[in-house]
This record gives sequence, C-alpha cells and structure tokens, in this order.
Amino acid sequence: MRTSALLMLLACANPVGYPQETSNSDEAAKLVAMQHVWSQAYVLKDPKALERILDDAFVNVESDGKLITKADVLAEVRTSTVVQVLMESIVVHLHGDTAIVAGVILAKGVEHGKPYAQRVRFVDTWLYKNGQWVTIAGLVTPVGE
Amino acid sequence: MKTTAMMFLMLSVLALPVSTQESNDGSAASAIRALEHEWVVAQAHNDNRALDLILDDSLVYAEYGKLVSKGEYLSRIKWSDPQLTQIVMEPMTVRVFGRTAIVVGAYRKRDLKDGKPRLSRWRFVHTWVYKKNGWALVAAGAAPLLNNQN
Repeated sequence: MRTSALLMLLACANPVGYPQETSNSDEAAKLVAMQHVWSQAYVLKDPKALERILDDAFVNVESDGKLITKADVLAEVRTSTVVQVLMESIVVHLHGDTAIVAGVILAKGVEHGKPYAQRVRFVDTWLYKNGQWVTIAGLVTPVGE
Repeated sequence: MKTTAMMFLMLSVLALPVSTQESNDGSAASAIRALEHEWVVAQAHNDNRALDLILDDSLVYAEYGKLVSKGEYLSRIKWSDPQLTQIVMEPMTVRVFGRTAIVVGAYRKRDLKDGKPRLSRWRFVHTWVYKKNGWALVAAGAAPLLNNQN
C-alpha cells in the first residue's frame, strides 16, 4: 500500500517547465519519499519521524510570514489537526548535494469540530549531509489563483 | 524621478545592518550578501543581463503562491516599471552549509494596486548553490508578513 502511494507520488513528479539539473532519479525518488514522510508525520502526529529529516538549523517561512524552527515544527506536529494530506504535485531539482523540492499539497483536517481543507505550495531545500538527506529550509504559501 | 527612486532603493540596501547571526564562512556569506544586493539593484534597473547571471537556469521562484520559472521572471522584470515598485530590504541572515547557503530576511514593498499605493512587508527565504561560475540562486520565495510580525 505504501509502495503504491509512493509510486503514485513519483508519477505526479512532473518537471515540465523546470529542467532538472541532473537526472538522478534514485535521489529524486528518495526525496519524494521523505517529503511524503514529512507530510504523513502531521497525520500520524509523529514528531520522531521528523527528527532525522529536519536539520537542527532548519527554518521555515510559513504562509503568514512567520519564521519557525525545527523545534516549532515538532511542537506543531504533536498538536496537529491534520487528518489527510494529498500531494497534488511535486518536482525535484538536484544540484549536486543540494536539492530543491517544490509542490502543492492539500491538507484536510478538523479544528474545533469544524472540517477544513487548505491547499498550499511548498518549496523546500534539502542537503545531503553525513550520508543522508536533511531539509535545511522551507517556504509555505497559499496557492495563487 | 527614476534616478531618485533608484538612489533611494540603493541606499536602503546599503544601509543594511550587520546580521546578528553570521555563518562560520564569512567570505561566502559576504559574497551572498553582495549578490542579494546586486539582485535588488538589477531588478530596479530592469537589468536582465545581470539577473541572468545571478539566477540559476532551473530557478524555482514562488511568487504570490505561484511557481515562476527564470524565463517568466525575467520576462516580467523586463517589462515592469521600476517606479511602480519600491523594495526596501531589512536585515538578513545568511547560513552557509558548504556549497549551499540559505538567506532569510524581510523586505518592505511599496507598489500600486488598482491605482492606489500599497505598502506590504514580506519574509523571504532564498537558496544559493555554489556552481562552476560562482554562487547561483536556485530557489526563492516570500510570504506576506501578517500582523506586523518580526
């Protein structure tokens, strides 16, 4: 089931309009999978899954302009109200030991008894460090018209 | 008028305070600060040639929630009127991770919407990668700062 989901995500990776710097599909697949783990951590309220994915120096610019750290993200995950995350699109650009992963997710959840759905665009920077990919920065913005 | 606006913009950029969080690679951080400055100036000058050198060909640029390619960005800059947009940079933080650098900062943007002046403040994050011709901007994006956050 998880493999099928990953294959679906890979099928969604469409680099049209954004030529890849290198065609390292294995690394791109790893990054897509890790991005998937990241989004699922919110559904599972599992901060441990993010411990090794987020670099200690990680920073993220939220859709309201707020700047948050790794600790903030882990706290956010613990109290997450997200029940489902759909990866609508994802594209990976590899630049040696750096990768830019961008896409759109649709997060559905329930907050104060009311269901919500939020579609956001993300742009994350990953770094190959000590034998594994970690994310060092991110940006989330509402999807434009 | 155009020159005055340019001077103001340039002075605003030059007046940037020293970052409170220096990276452990001072020379790389300085080079990137200079490039950030060049970017703003090139944008104000509609200088596509300079921008072409700064921006990586596979640039991922998130603007107003849309992904914009380098070609689309350059095309927009080429035809935009710099007098309609004024950008004042605020302090930025540069973190260097070997051949990768992350820049986080904020800027104030004054432009026109429906003919009326508008002032907004944005937080940005930029990713630079050191390539054979030097540092290149590979990803950039900004989100509007709400409620006058710091």
